[in-house]
Amino acid sequence: MANVSLIHLKKQFGQSVAVSDFSLEIADGELVSFLGPSGCGKTTTLRMIAGFIDPTAGRILIGGTDVTALPVHQRNTGMVFQRYALFPHMTVAQNVSFGLEMRKVSAHERDRRIELALDMVRMTEYKDRYPRQLSGGQQQRVAIARALAIEPKVFLLDEPLSNLDAKLRLEVREEIRALQQRLGLTTIFVTHDQEEALAISDRMAIMHDGKVQQVGRPDVLYEQPENFFVAEFLGKMNFFAGTCVGPGQFKTTDGLLLNVDAVTQSTKRVGVRPERVELVAVATSGNNIPVTVQSSAYLGSFVDVVLAGPNQQRLSCQVPNTATVSPADAFTTGRGLVMNFKASDCVVFNEEGDA
Amino acid sequence: MSAVSRGDARQARLGACLAFPSSLVVFCIIMVPIVLMFRYSFNFHDPVHIMREGFTFENYVKFFSDSYYRGVFFDTLKVAATCTLLALLFGFPVAYFLAKTQSRHKSLLIILLVFPLMVGNVVRAAGWMVVLGNAGAVNALLVWLGVIAQPIKLLYTPLAVVIGTTAVVLPFMILTLQSVLEGIDFAVEEAAQNLGANMFTTFWRVVLPIAAPGVAAGTMLVFILCMNAYATPVLLGGSGITMMAPSLYGQIAKASNWTFGSSMALILVIATMLIALSANWLIHRRYVRTMAS
Repeated sequence: MANVSLIHLKKQFGQSVAVSDFSLEIADGELVSFLGPSGCGKTTTLRMIAGFIDPTAGRILIGGTDVTALPVHQRNTGMVFQRYALFPHMTVAQNVSFGLEMRKVSAHERDRRIELALDMVRMTEYKDRYPRQLSGGQQQRVAIARALAIEPKVFLLDEPLSNLDAKLRLEVREEIRALQQRLGLTTIFVTHDQEEALAISDRMAIMHDGKVQQVGRPDVLYEQPENFFVAEFLGKMNFFAGTCVGPGQFKTTDGLLLNVDAVTQSTKRVGVRPERVELVAVATSGNNIPVTVQSSAYLGSFVDVVLAGPNQQRLSCQVPNTATVSPADAFTTGRGLVMNFKASDCVVFNEEGDA
Repeated sequence: MSAVSRGDARQARLGACLAFPSSLVVFCIIMVPIVLMFRYSFNFHDPVHIMREGFTFENYVKFFSDSYYRGVFFDTLKVAATCTLLALLFGFPVAYFLAKTQSRHKSLLIILLVFPLMVGNVVRAAGWMVVLGNAGAVNALLVWLGVIAQPIKLLYTPLAVVIGTTAVVLPFMILTLQSVLEGIDFAVEEAAQNLGANMFTTFWRVVLPIAAPGVAAGTMLVFILCMNAYATPVLLGGSGITMMAPSLYGQIAKASNWTFGSSMALILVIATMLIALSANWLIHRRYVRTMAS
């Protein structure tokens, strides 16, 4: 395994910039996910690392070696594709063997490593099957074994779970994470699913419009979003526009006074997560905002309540399911409630949307 | 379950009913002449009454014992094999490009490919005569470039037949290959490269085996067309080369030797079928068997 350095990586297709100035250091054995909406440049970046796309500018280092000019087949990366891309005319074992044959591994050693790789993904008993005889989850596990059998320097996954159904997605995701940690694989995981990224990553890079918005640990990104996009993209957030009117004091455009710990002179917007707010009947200590229930969705472990704020703005609140009161009774449409949250739970943004 | 199978059975019966009329027509217009010809080929040749009923192998013996006809047969095989191979070599890259291209002009390119099929073989052969003749474009260009002093003989040679026939069958090869290549998920190429295969190995070990059903189908179709070519060999080959179809036509229409012509026709049909089917079988055994579901 090896560390990966992306140095001022840039890709332009004609006039449109797919990736602009992406710099990132990925440590040996670290799992970094690229997360963002489609078209944000995450897959383009991954494909530049694998060598399928030549960067317009910048350099890629794998294990300290500059691979920017190396063709795909000399880079020694192990890639797992969204649609598996198994060779349909080869058995499971032959698929795994392919990369080893390319490396001129002796037949004896090859058999050992095929066995090892298939055992890793619990597919040994299927080694003589053809891909078409396997389910989607099994095919993706074979693709993982095939990529890892060559003992790559970096493990690259391009939305590997998006073609699997919900239950399998969770299973394979946990399997990938367990493997990655056991083998100490330097891994780059591309996804558009934030839950997936949060669950699996050591660090995440959130991308938008070809630009990296923020890189960091999942909890840091969620708790301390550096800008408006990250706050909005990762989970949900309620926003209030307004201005700072004194130390710890923020006045919304609706004229409500909020206590916000982090507020500064440049603060133009305050945000609070839906699971950090409480719905109460009567205003108590902390910030109180009068709201009206618009609708509620029962989601098992919590109830998602959509509310209308003072200026008819849309707010949301996640109420944990404590089973003491039926959500249908508690959140009838049109009911007036108070949205209550702490000064310390607020996140602030300036004019440009930066924290 | 039983309702489904009953529905299936009804579907199958309906299908059989719908297929019956066309099957009957095909049987009559294809099988009846072949059966008749098969019978004629064992009759005795008679210069006065054209043929006499009987049973003899003399037509077949004559064909295989006469070095001239053996030559015609092997020339036909050689030309057909060469043209099929050339069509595969030239056609594969075009079909591959068509299957992979994201160009919005793709349908236009396919129309261009089909366009020559709208012009008859005879007209196209006439075009090649203009290009390949002693005063034709190729000779004029070579003389002008100083490569040759005198025009060389291109028309009425086996080369002219090979060029003309390849041009005729190329669109068939490309379209057949393209329809199969279209179904390949080209991510497998990227996977192969990622695993350490260079472009050549990727093609040889991954793309070609997956495309094998298309190669088999295209090769078989084109080989059959080449073996039975008539207009192109007559117009471009002249007296330089004689192929089976023109030769047996001569026997039946000009020499009025129906029995010998019939035996030649049957030899052509059987040889073509045997070679095409065994080539198909070989390709399937090598590549396709593993992928059949």
